[in-house]
Amino acid sequence: MKKLVLSIFVVSALFQSCSSDDDGGDGGSQVVAPATYSFEREGESSVSFSGQTTRIEMGQEFIDALKDTSKSEADLDGMFAHAEGDADFSDADLNASDKSIRSKTAASSDYFSANTTDANEIKAEFDTWIKAQVYEVFPNWNVDAVAGTAGKIQEAGGGSTRYVNAKGLELNQAINKGLIGALMADQALNNYLSTAVLDAGNNIANNDAGTVEDGKTYTTMEHKWDEAYGYVFGANADPANPNADLGADNFLNKYLGRVEGDTDFAGIADDVYQAFKLGRAAIVAGDYDLRDEQAEIIREKISEVIGVRAVYYLQQGKANLGTDMASAFHDLSEGFGFVYSLQFTRKPGTNEPYFTKTEVDAFIATLLNGNGFWDITAGDLDTMSDTISAKFNFTTAQAGS
Amino acid sequence: MITIRKIFLALVAIGSIVACSSSSSDDGPSGKTDTFDRGLLLANIADNIIIPAFEDFQIKLSALDVARGNFVNDINQTNLDALSNSWLEAYKVWQYVEMFNIGKAEGIDNTNHIGFVSFFNIYPLEVADVQNGADNGNYDLTTSNYHDGQGFPALDFLIHGLADADGTSIEKFTTNTNKDGYVNYLTDIVSRMISLNNTILNDWKNGYRNSFVANVESSKTGSVNKTVNDYVSYYERGLRANKFGIPAGNFSNSPLPETVEAFYKQDVSKELALEALKAVQDFFNGKAYNGSTNGESYKSYLIALDRSDLATLINSKFDAAREKIQVLDNNFFNQINTDNTKMTEAYDALQLVVVSLKVDMMSAFDISIDEGFQDNDGD
Repeated sequence: MKKLVLSIFVVSALFQSCSSDDDGGDGGSQVVAPATYSFEREGESSVSFSGQTTRIEMGQEFIDALKDTSKSEADLDGMFAHAEGDADFSDADLNASDKSIRSKTAASSDYFSANTTDANEIKAEFDTWIKAQVYEVFPNWNVDAVAGTAGKIQEAGGGSTRYVNAKGLELNQAINKGLIGALMADQALNNYLSTAVLDAGNNIANNDAGTVEDGKTYTTMEHKWDEAYGYVFGANADPANPNADLGADNFLNKYLGRVEGDTDFAGIADDVYQAFKLGRAAIVAGDYDLRDEQAEIIREKISEVIGVRAVYYLQQGKANLGTDMASAFHDLSEGFGFVYSLQFTRKPGTNEPYFTKTEVDAFIATLLNGNGFWDITAGDLDTMSDTISAKFNFTTAQAGS
Repeated sequence: MITIRKIFLALVAIGSIVACSSSSSDDGPSGKTDTFDRGLLLANIADNIIIPAFEDFQIKLSALDVARGNFVNDINQTNLDALSNSWLEAYKVWQYVEMFNIGKAEGIDNTNHIGFVSFFNIYPLEVADVQNGADNGNYDLTTSNYHDGQGFPALDFLIHGLADADGTSIEKFTTNTNKDGYVNYLTDIVSRMISLNNTILNDWKNGYRNSFVANVESSKTGSVNKTVNDYVSYYERGLRANKFGIPAGNFSNSPLPETVEAFYKQDVSKELALEALKAVQDFFNGKAYNGSTNGESYKSYLIALDRSDLATLINSKFDAAREKIQVLDNNFFNQINTDNTKMTEAYDALQLVVVSLKVDMMSAFDISIDEGFQDNDGD
């Protein structure tokens, strides 16, 4: 079944290759993806995405620290916007790194290079959430949350305790799930898979000629593609065969796994993996139409992961509303982050997200209206779920269970 | 492996020609054959723009030196104000030459590819360079240590800034213990700017102009390729990033208002930025530096390639960016501190031109980007 799907893509690629633009493949072009995401040049691996793995690891320490009341705002800011050499993390390698999460948040070439105004606003929003966690939620760690007051609230039956702001929102969840869109999806879909990045400067000529970067085994174009791959699969034990341990991080990889686990969407993880693999092979072969077709598949599927999880958590939250508020708040907090992430999705064949920032801001305003999750109604959540589902290829019922 | 790949690529290429010969292309020059006379373009920009701009810069630097002499000979506020005025006049004309990092200008400093800008307009200023220099007279303005300790930013500090515990800017030259050192530093900086500009201008007038115009090669060392790269690089870095992006905080975790151009004078950052934008747009349109006639230009080159759409688009984007700049405070330091969003909106409007210049125009001209000028986001 999966092979059939793949071959349909290849066949359609062949039929389309001359209809669109530039260096369309010849009718006999048969780029064959290798069995695993493993590419070599002169006997050495040409795959590299260490910068993405580093950011995922930074993200993990960061979201853990958001629940550590001993952390100050400066501690958390340091983890979000790490500077090389600062002792922000427990892992010395991360401290030595020149990478930072914040610098790549809402920072893609396609969406934000000429929209630094929105980019700054989004970055500042994460800063605000960090600050509120430290100054509103941490001081009330042992206070029972009620409408309008931050504090702790425990799930029914002796379940997990959740720490929420005055509106019932777990800010650590907003940040965690928000980063899935603002960092991982935005960088992968709207930056590294973008022709503006893949084909920047002399990348095409250098890739055609097999000219590698100084001291490296890869061409710039190959590397850019790998960096997109790294934001999805950079934490897996065997990066060449990542779907063997889906859920290797608490970001995109985990939720690709969760959507894969829903029978309505089974196969999506392999679709993403196969598209990455074939696209990378297409780059090696110099077939850029085929490459771009794979990029569109990845954009559609990763966007779908975000859309499905947004609706899923809104529906789960709705189910617990009024009976187990802590569970409802937890679900809605995760949903809040995924809804926020919708503005970083990418509609295939366009330069647009499934939902614009303005539309997302309206969703957020609805969720936080009045006392926020304490006030939200089942009707509000259904309306929002249906609005989201309608723009994707799934129903609220499919996503919500 | 490589051989097989090359064969494969050759097959793809043949396949494309056979199967897709009519398909439009968006990564090469447009369908129309390039018969544009690059020599006419080069002659226009050399004779009507570059050389006249450097000549005017020479005049303004001379006036600056006169004002400096008057001030040094009779240190008072009136003469300092006159020096400030001539500094601003020269700084405005500088905005018309900064993009021409070619010829002697390029070769003047071999420590980096920035060329003569290294000695004229690196900011923010390293104030300690000036203060230590005034204190001990021990400085070498030719070294890279002093790139950020000379030129217009150093003059800006000397004329408008406060040193040590001084209460007014003139006290550097009157009551400060290093007052003689400050006078010497001022004199050394101005004379260095004059001599560097003379070197560049004399070279243009004594031979370089002809070899520049004659070099119509469409290779990396051809004059058109070099000026286009310089132009786009200047626009992206010197104008967009240095004047707007860096102080607005687009490359850092928070805004850096103290990195605006002319930080010590402050209320002229917008004026300088608008001059710079006018300079790049005039150059794009081939407008003579002295006068209003237009000659061969990037615009007419695009039109010759059937890309008048792009030429029009670039001009309208320049105009849109100007509108966003015009609403800003005269003082960018204030603008950033009071409403940085307007500053980033100006940056965003400027960035939209980068795409048209760096991707669309350069591809229409079939000019590749110099290595070293390519984006590197450090990943």
